[in-house]
Amino acid sequence: MAEMLRFCAAAGLIRYSEAAVAAAECRGRRRWAAVRCSSRAIPGQEAASRLVAGVGAVGGAEGKGLAERLRLGSLVPDGLSYKESFVVRCYEVGINKTATVETIANLLQEVGCNHAQSVGFSTDGFATTPTMRKLRLIWVTSRMHIEIYKYPAWGDVVEIETWCQGEGRIGTRRDWILKDLATGEVIGRATSKWVMMNQDTRKLQRVSDEVREEYLVFCPRTPRLSFPEENNGSLKKIPKLADPAQYSRLGLVPRRADLDMNQHVNNVTYIGWVLESMPQEIIDTHELQTITLDYRRECQHDDAVDSLTSSEFAENGSTNGIATTKPHDQELQQFLHFLKSSGTGLEINRGRTEWRKLIR
Amino acid sequence: MVASMAVASAFFPGPSSSSVVSAKASKAIGEGPENLGVRGIVAKPMSVSGAMEVKAQAQALPKVNGTKVGLKTEAQKVEEDSPSAPRTFYNQLPDWSFLFAAITTIFLAAEKQFTLIDWKPRRPDMLADAFGLGKIMPDGLVFRQNFSIRSYEIGADRTASIETLMNHLQETALNHVRSVGLLGDGFGSTPEMSKRNLIWVVTKMQVIVEKYPSWEDVVEVDSWVAPSGKNGMRRDWHVRDYRTGKTVLRATSVWVMMNKQTRKLSKIPEEVRAEIGSYFVDRGPIIEDDSRKLAKLDDSTADYVRKGLTPRWGDLDINQHVNNVKYIGWIIESAPISILESHELAGMTLEYRRECGKDSMLQSLTAVDDDDGDGSAPEGSPGAGIECRHLLRLECGAEIVRGRTEWRPKRAQGLETKGPLQAATV
Repeated sequence: MAEMLRFCAAAGLIRYSEAAVAAAECRGRRRWAAVRCSSRAIPGQEAASRLVAGVGAVGGAEGKGLAERLRLGSLVPDGLSYKESFVVRCYEVGINKTATVETIANLLQEVGCNHAQSVGFSTDGFATTPTMRKLRLIWVTSRMHIEIYKYPAWGDVVEIETWCQGEGRIGTRRDWILKDLATGEVIGRATSKWVMMNQDTRKLQRVSDEVREEYLVFCPRTPRLSFPEENNGSLKKIPKLADPAQYSRLGLVPRRADLDMNQHVNNVTYIGWVLESMPQEIIDTHELQTITLDYRRECQHDDAVDSLTSSEFAENGSTNGIATTKPHDQELQQFLHFLKSSGTGLEINRGRTEWRKLIR
Repeated sequence: MVASMAVASAFFPGPSSSSVVSAKASKAIGEGPENLGVRGIVAKPMSVSGAMEVKAQAQALPKVNGTKVGLKTEAQKVEEDSPSAPRTFYNQLPDWSFLFAAITTIFLAAEKQFTLIDWKPRRPDMLADAFGLGKIMPDGLVFRQNFSIRSYEIGADRTASIETLMNHLQETALNHVRSVGLLGDGFGSTPEMSKRNLIWVVTKMQVIVEKYPSWEDVVEVDSWVAPSGKNGMRRDWHVRDYRTGKTVLRATSVWVMMNKQTRKLSKIPEEVRAEIGSYFVDRGPIIEDDSRKLAKLDDSTADYVRKGLTPRWGDLDINQHVNNVKYIGWIIESAPISILESHELAGMTLEYRRECGKDSMLQSLTAVDDDDGDGSAPEGSPGAGIECRHLLRLECGAEIVRGRTEWRPKRAQGLETKGPLQAATV
């Protein structure tokens, strides 16, 4: 592993200084892990070290999957975040010849999964720690916020860096930064909030500090936010749409292809549903810049869903029941969204999107 | 084309030596890339130890130069430095992954050299993932690309969906055309075709799946083209598990040329034939043509009818037409759930009739014929194969796709929770 990093440095794939630190880190970790296991240590850290040792011992490089060895994804030198590069494939490109927002969301999910796997968490799709599994806890997304400044095209390589950290007492957040690998420019940012839910009772659950420590050991302790600016969109409350909605698409049904490995409707499918009720004239002339989704309830795979959309600001510039007024920007269109179960009418999620005019 | 062939053969040692090399390499690292020819090393007999010597040089570099060392510099350095590696490297034989990384990086350097012309100028570094763009094989005819199965490509039964696999085929085909410099505007048309408003349209597709890959597997897709009749083209694919070399699927497709505007079929113009003719392989189709007639279904002969299927925004390609692969998704959607849960798709034959756009409303009809062809299992028993006939059509009755699918019982999965340690097998 260490030699591989050095060699990667030689190949210009990563900077030499990073490689050296990472190499030392790896060697150090393995030794440290070995020592730790035989002595008393803080429970969380010991668990973490055992995880790392486990990965290290079985891995080194043999134990790691072939894909992982080939993949250009790895923990960064300080081990607190994870970077991976992806090439945009032709079938991930939409009507604008650029990657669709669903593709981006899929990649964010993929890199999040790979991060969890690289630090030794489970790979059954839940990214749970051993203690979580014992307590029958799983992660649930509560909010997802994605901003894309420049959509990548077919063949472009996107480098995504991700990390997670605690959020308040019960939540965790995962942040991402997307860069165009060739130019280094930031093409997007995203953040998401997660809470723990009991798999059996389906109820949200607070967790002890020990459980949090177990996964937070791999996360930066000093807050690092992909949206550090004040009053950023990721924190804005999303109001409920006023009745009746301006646009709607009723009776959307999950396809079998929308189910993930755990037979739940994939988070990304909700993004597709929210966009389904967007009017054609916006889709043709604008590009999605921001999407914020609050997940309230999960959708079962035999539910039908109604997608409702309304413009957030009425045409004369007055607000749609929102306290803060915003200058009506001709270039940026804002919409509120609501997804509800067709049968019961219960809210599944709500969202806000911002669209910028396409320069054709 | 002739020029690039010459260039290709200059870069790679002749067939005999490369097979020796690949035999050695294969022994060392399983099924590695078949050729290890590199500009700097062509002069020397290529061997496993040669690769290690290169590695030695590369290792020396950063210490001399400090920080970032570009690939290009490294390849040239390899040429200049005399190949006297310190003996200690042999003794410190690293784990195979490192050797593999070394070989891959050398290979990337070589790939960069001869694909330089195809690169957009704003990408100075060759930093696409190691298997992102694929390469032409030494024979100049077969194109190979690898894909790692991503987590979101896994279906409800924990294996890559057939749509994922079909998407890989599409991506490989386009990258093949792009890598030989024949990408005109839009997807798949060569420059001469674009000038004449001609496009390739798929008329028939046959696929046989032997084993579905799982998350994190890497598949290797080989693709090539051949003539089909006088005015058609055939494109075949052979997909293998990169690690084991076993076949994942085989596919063959037939394409005809059509005028984009008039929607009329067209002969292949001489100029286009000059562009692509030299890529045609003289091989039979990888799957025997299933020439059984696909009978048309209607409401009375179908067992299941599913109405109200509409394309979503994400289903459309850049021409605002529904991507070919989506049709397969709809066909599978409307197969009875009992079959989907107990069986996996083993093969399919599709005939494409018409395309549809966003505003189309489709219906999917399915008829189940559950007799096993060779009578090996009693009808209706869990061990039996199942055959279905399909029709996708617009509400008005116009046919989009006709198909036949074959299903075999799923193998026992036995993967409940794949922890990182269990999953870590080479």
